[in-house]
Amino acid sequence: MNAWFDYTVNGFVIGNIYALLAVGLALIYGVANLVNFAHGSVYVVGAYVGWAAITYLGTPLPLTILCVVIVSALVGVGIERIGLRPLHGSSRIAPLLATIGITLVLDQIVQLIFSPDPRAVPMQVPEWRIPLGGGTIGALDLLIAGIGLVSAVVLYGFLRFTKLGWAVRATAQDSDAALQMGVDINKVNMAVFAIASALGGLSGLLVGMYYNQISPAMSFEATLKGIVALIIGGLGNVPGAIAGSLILGLTESYGIALFGTSYRNLFAFVVLIAMLVWRPNGLFAGRRSLPPEPMTGTFITRSRPLKVPRWAVVAIIVVAALLPLTGHPYLLQIGANSLLYAMLALSLTLVAGTVGQISLGHAALLAIGGYASGLLALDGGWPVALAMPAAGLITAALGTALVFPAFRLTGHYVSIATLGIGEIVSLVILNWTGLTHGAIGLGGIPPLEIFGYDFGSVESTYWLSLVVLVLLALLQVRLLNSHLGRSWRAIRDDSVAARSYGVVGDRYKALAFGYGGFAAGISGAITAHIYSYINHETFSASISILALTMVILGGLGNVLGAVLGATLLIALPEAFRDLAEYRILIYGVVLLLLIRFRPQGLLGTV
Amino acid sequence: MRLHRRSVLSATAAALGSFAIGRLANAADPVFVGVSGPLTGPNAQYGAQWKDSFDLALDELNPTAAHPVRYIFEDSQSDPRQSVAIAQKFVNDPRIIMELGDFSSPASMAASPIYQRARLVQFGFTNSHPDFTKGGDYMWSSSISQAEEQPQLAEYAITGLGKRRLGVIHLNTDWGVTSKNLFVAAAQAKGAAVTAAEGFLPNERDFRSTLVRIRDSNPDCIVLIAYYADAATIVRQIRTMALPQAIVAVSSVYSPKLIELGGEAVNGVHCSTTFFPGEQRAEVQRFVTAFKAKFNRDPDTFNATAYDTMVLVSTLVNRYGTTRPAIRQGIAEVRGVPSVIFGTIQFDPETRRVAGARYKRLVVRDGQFQLFEGGTPS
Repeated sequence: MNAWFDYTVNGFVIGNIYALLAVGLALIYGVANLVNFAHGSVYVVGAYVGWAAITYLGTPLPLTILCVVIVSALVGVGIERIGLRPLHGSSRIAPLLATIGITLVLDQIVQLIFSPDPRAVPMQVPEWRIPLGGGTIGALDLLIAGIGLVSAVVLYGFLRFTKLGWAVRATAQDSDAALQMGVDINKVNMAVFAIASALGGLSGLLVGMYYNQISPAMSFEATLKGIVALIIGGLGNVPGAIAGSLILGLTESYGIALFGTSYRNLFAFVVLIAMLVWRPNGLFAGRRSLPPEPMTGTFITRSRPLKVPRWAVVAIIVVAALLPLTGHPYLLQIGANSLLYAMLALSLTLVAGTVGQISLGHAALLAIGGYASGLLALDGGWPVALAMPAAGLITAALGTALVFPAFRLTGHYVSIATLGIGEIVSLVILNWTGLTHGAIGLGGIPPLEIFGYDFGSVESTYWLSLVVLVLLALLQVRLLNSHLGRSWRAIRDDSVAARSYGVVGDRYKALAFGYGGFAAGISGAITAHIYSYINHETFSASISILALTMVILGGLGNVLGAVLGATLLIALPEAFRDLAEYRILIYGVVLLLLIRFRPQGLLGTV
Repeated sequence: MRLHRRSVLSATAAALGSFAIGRLANAADPVFVGVSGPLTGPNAQYGAQWKDSFDLALDELNPTAAHPVRYIFEDSQSDPRQSVAIAQKFVNDPRIIMELGDFSSPASMAASPIYQRARLVQFGFTNSHPDFTKGGDYMWSSSISQAEEQPQLAEYAITGLGKRRLGVIHLNTDWGVTSKNLFVAAAQAKGAAVTAAEGFLPNERDFRSTLVRIRDSNPDCIVLIAYYADAATIVRQIRTMALPQAIVAVSSVYSPKLIELGGEAVNGVHCSTTFFPGEQRAEVQRFVTAFKAKFNRDPDTFNATAYDTMVLVSTLVNRYGTTRPAIRQGIAEVRGVPSVIFGTIQFDPETRRVAGARYKRLVVRDGQFQLFEGGTPS
């Protein structure tokens, strides 16, 4: 009994920390309808600003907090100015992607200035502790709880009772109408980003002090946990965010109690999915149904796709096929990587572009394909030539089944659900030791070999990938031009209208995920046989983000665009290799510029 | 690459005297090794540590060597997609006669088939994954064998400190799980009980509930299989929960950073280590003094391992020749290469790993690592 009391206290302690993050995210979502992926970066910036202030200026706590709040607020204003304001009126996904680009840039700048080494933050809060059950809680726990609660109460009051607060809520409900009523929505958004980011930066400082440790790598985890808490509490619901955070903390703590430490995040993400399926508005919403999102025609940027003549496509394929004759293995390896990623991009451009389900967990399909093929060949003794297509089919079936509960969701909810499913797949691979070999990973996966012919050389890998890609791409083009393709686009453009014409959304979505799963699964399978070793981290969440960037760069739904996007984003970092440390920074800036100036992608959306 | 070449040049130039700038440094024809490792991304700090140690070793060795060594460092972010491209780059660059890295197992082992096929030695000096050297006869490693370290650690806890009930907290990665399994086997063979084994994910910061599980399994000693940053966090939370058990940790927690990040909480933590700057052995003292003079801080185990690696490279090149086959032959035959970690290095041609790391028992007292001389565990 005593232990359960301790688990409960621990759940509240960690939930308390998530709350500081979630409140800022909730505020921004409430106003800008945007899941701010850069929030974790602001948190890192705040932590480092505080560290620098204490270390170099010797500031006392109130002054440290002031520095952190001011700098973080300025960063928030910058994010609004760069990531949101210029994108007003463009597709709904553009600001979300812009915040991902800003994260890349901010994290890298922090890393360049302060080095990636973890640092200790001098504790400026009294170190007394109160015994509670089997453990203790300290002054900092109470301070964090206090700041979380006070900020939530103040924000709630601000939104309810002040004129600017009304303006904020009016902007949240309908920014165009608010503008017509004389609300300066830019000023409102800027104020909200400043407040939310100040809070985010402050939480970075306090959490840094709490663990006596900060590093640039803590950004992604912070964003992820903040988003889960946000969903539990209800998107845009500030007091709900605090409750959601505490529930998340308790869930994790009880998860550890029941199943052990390595199940902690699995629990968190399963709760996320359960929430999305049963209570997508959060635990505290009266309504069970999703708020009507103005989805029709706004999520995908309209454009006329660039018409590439048939002879040009044939010429590109011929040139690509002849590339190995030039005898540059390094170039070919990059080529092969590009082709494998192009398969992933094909899959995602179908799901995200044609059907409008923006997936942030697509790397999971690679992982399923890679593990399926690797395990069939390694533990099942299958020949590689059979294992790979089987892996494609397994991925199609499993991928569709996993995402099936999320089919009724739309817009941002789909993105968050797929993000969660991606994490779940990775964690199941890690924990299901009996099947997947767990953390040790799959070693000694047999090399590519098809009916006795060795495909291990880079030339044959390249050719094999090219053939598979061309076949998949032709099939996809054929599908898009058929009745099926028209139904998919109809669901994307107006699901209600589609349904009233008898197009059942779920079945068509399942077909899209099935085909997409097959393409991605084959890509993962080939990759596994090339690498010879994979583990649960080989296909990480960052690959999902990369894949989405490829698809947007090429133009959502555009088959040729997906291939172009993949080629550019695999080749560009290699071309920037000379710039070593600055590579990711440049990559982030390029992404931001693209979203700003060519949101429909290079070849246009279809 | 331009940046790296410049840094290598400047290092060489500094060694030759401050007047030697730019191309003047090309005194003898240099020999190139390729390094594939993280300079950006979540593991970037390790790549930075490698560079420091490589530069130090080459500063010392190149001026007097017949064949000065240079390295070309390609940033892989420890990402297998990039490490395979780098591998193609290296195997097709005729200047490169040996490859060092990558840092993580997925990145290193994904590139192994390419190096094996091209017959270029891949030297993964941080790759403790048991399957790494099974990738082929061109995969070699000087990473400390966990099969050797874990029994030492069990010995430390059981006979050194007299503990019988051990609660293990380990990183849930290939390294952590391999280590934990070896530790559990060794501890049980010595008659001790492992009361709990909890695996945590990288980037985790909150261990309070994990520690409740450990506490309720009623151990008399907590064993940490983690890196220094996580270990510091875990120990701090052990202290806030006022758990009385002794704490014993693997050598990878040995770093000045443990004390910086852990503060007063880490006092009393025991750890085994292969590298300790306080050790009086001549190679160790020379390395520590030189490192401190150049970088103005204490080196840690990662620095020492990387330094050893570059000393090995220079020895191989100058003893066996400047071609890929010469390196492959040399690494199997070489004896008595001075080493900070091992004393001297020689490889077992069967496992392609080094045996016989020297373990020291340390304890943190008053914010300093000290040799543990026995007595009552604090």
